[in-house]
Amino acid sequence: MFRSRVVTLGVAALVLTACGGGGGEQPQKKTELTLYNDKGAWTKYFDEMGALSKQSIGLGMKPTGYTDSAQYQAFIKASFRTDVKPDLFTWQTGGMLEEIVRQKQVAETTDIWQQAIQAGDLSKDLQPYYTIGGKQYCVPMNVAYWGMFYNKKIFDKYGLEAPETWDDLIKVADTLKKNNVKAFYHTSVLFSFVWFEQLLAGSDPDLYDRLSTGQAKYTDPGVVQVMEKWKSLIDAGYFINPGDKTDPGDVLKNGKAAMVSFGTWFNTSMTQRDLKAGEDYDFFVIPNVNPALPKTSMIFESGPLCSLTKGADPAANKKYLQWWTTAEAQEKWATSRGDVSANPKVSIADKALGTVTKDAGSGKYRLVNRYFEATPPPVLTAALDGFGKFVTEPGSYKEVLDTIQKAADEYWSTHQ
Amino acid sequence: MLGRFRHGYVAPAVLLVAGLLYAPFLWTAYLSFTRYDGLEPAQWIGGHNFAKLLEDPALLTSIRNTLIWVAGTMVLPVGLGLLVAVLSYDIRGGAWFRVPFLLPYALSGAGLAMVWSPILSHDGIANRLLGVDTAFLQEEPVNTVAMLLVWTWQQLGVNMLLFVVGLQSIPKAPIEAARLDGAGSWALFRFVIWPLMRPLTAVVVGLALVASLKTFDIVWVLTQGGPGRNSETLAVTMYKETFVASDYGYGSAVAVMLTVVTGLASYLYLKRQVAR
Repeated sequence: MFRSRVVTLGVAALVLTACGGGGGEQPQKKTELTLYNDKGAWTKYFDEMGALSKQSIGLGMKPTGYTDSAQYQAFIKASFRTDVKPDLFTWQTGGMLEEIVRQKQVAETTDIWQQAIQAGDLSKDLQPYYTIGGKQYCVPMNVAYWGMFYNKKIFDKYGLEAPETWDDLIKVADTLKKNNVKAFYHTSVLFSFVWFEQLLAGSDPDLYDRLSTGQAKYTDPGVVQVMEKWKSLIDAGYFINPGDKTDPGDVLKNGKAAMVSFGTWFNTSMTQRDLKAGEDYDFFVIPNVNPALPKTSMIFESGPLCSLTKGADPAANKKYLQWWTTAEAQEKWATSRGDVSANPKVSIADKALGTVTKDAGSGKYRLVNRYFEATPPPVLTAALDGFGKFVTEPGSYKEVLDTIQKAADEYWSTHQ
Repeated sequence: MLGRFRHGYVAPAVLLVAGLLYAPFLWTAYLSFTRYDGLEPAQWIGGHNFAKLLEDPALLTSIRNTLIWVAGTMVLPVGLGLLVAVLSYDIRGGAWFRVPFLLPYALSGAGLAMVWSPILSHDGIANRLLGVDTAFLQEEPVNTVAMLLVWTWQQLGVNMLLFVVGLQSIPKAPIEAARLDGAGSWALFRFVIWPLMRPLTAVVVGLALVASLKTFDIVWVLTQGGPGRNSETLAVTMYKETFVASDYGYGSAVAVMLTVVTGLASYLYLKRQVAR
């Protein structure tokens, strides 16, 4: 009887030990960090960065890429309560970063920012996106400016030029339509918000900002007008079918649509398809719908690279984030993907993107935070669903705005 | 000899079941009464999430689509499975006839959706082959029906196989006796074969009922419940509310409702079958 009791207790102890955490662990000295990210398609580029960092600062990095952002976010949130913690991880600025900073999960990076700004490795313009309660958290994993990628061969074929005004853009779309070419790409999943943010930012950027902070409503006349504008463009037949599942990179390459609006990171898709900038495709800044605005509104995004306050080796994490901002790291990170960089010292190989980055840095544009980051997550979820419905049934725009506003009312009633 | 510690032998199994099955279920039930975003501590809000369920138009669409899945599954994968089993049973080369129906079962739900995505998308193979311009994955309820047909393509085989096993287990004597009495094919099936297969049919229908109530992967990969939310099922709504919108409380309320509906439907169905 005694033996059976001992065996039972033993088994139970083993099970509990297996379930329990390794509390009281000492900080480790790491030579390789794990970098969790929701950019599974960029694993190759992260691997290259890992090899370079090992060579430069003796600290390797191994990426673990997710392709489903919902799964990724659930994993990161769960890791805050378990011992399976990433050393480094990518996240989103805006409400999502605020959420995890408020929980004291993210390591502060104020000194990294101060040194990087002093050394000219980071721009002061970027700082507000990473500042919460006067302190900085994370460093920029990437930055991107949004505009229009266009198929240069199609433009050349019909004698078209990159437009400088909204009217010019519509003339281009009309010419393409006459020649049975769809002008624009749009989709009913995930990136369904792109045309909403572009049209609103180009019509009334102040309203865009107020909407992001709950000071304006989706049912306000200015927002309704934007949806009506968007509907008129769809009704005019400028867009491809939103249910087309072709990858947007292939849409542009194959000429299924002559123009695709995305962030500068879309250049990576072009590079992966062996397309040459200036020959096969090019990029222009989308003109404002409202020509009276003093500056052209440009959608801007920056994705953070973060570390945890309770990471296994906080010193190594900090060392890595510091290195990530340097010109050496950023040169590699930007050139390998054919993208722009958060480090102003990095020269951009692509001429059009280089000009945009320079102009954006010199204050030529009014930078508008991307809708994805600017909108609180519960409102964003309702909006993505709503815009997905709208592009399929454009007549439903009022119902869609009502639904999004309902989610916004619920959110802002507890978050003002 | 074992005395009062005899229960200790089952302790490891009980611990595992309690830890991995009962505890998560109870935790989910608790969360359904809270506001919880996965980060800040859960805040007790009583029945608010369940009240919200009742007035959520997206949930009504979700319930409608789930009912289409349940009814469609009974008619298509189960009904056609039975038909193919009966038609191919007891004929020469019947086994070879059945093989192609079984092959799609090797695919996972997500793999199945990946295969059918280029076929059903707007510029896809189906539209070109049929010479039509139908938004198979966009228009409601066409998208739910299209996905149901894909589901049928995969599930028909396994249901057919189960029915064939049922047919093979029927004793020959009553069939021969019915034939001697002059029963035709339909009468033989209706009054002899079908009643003898009832125990197996109860299992097949019961499994199909539960599987259709929790339809998720095929919808998630093909439409993500959209456009808008027009092809969502209850399981997709549960996932989206929990992990996409980070509204763990409301997502848990949908999970509890789905569990109650599935449990209740299975109980009522099996009770009726056992009573017979």
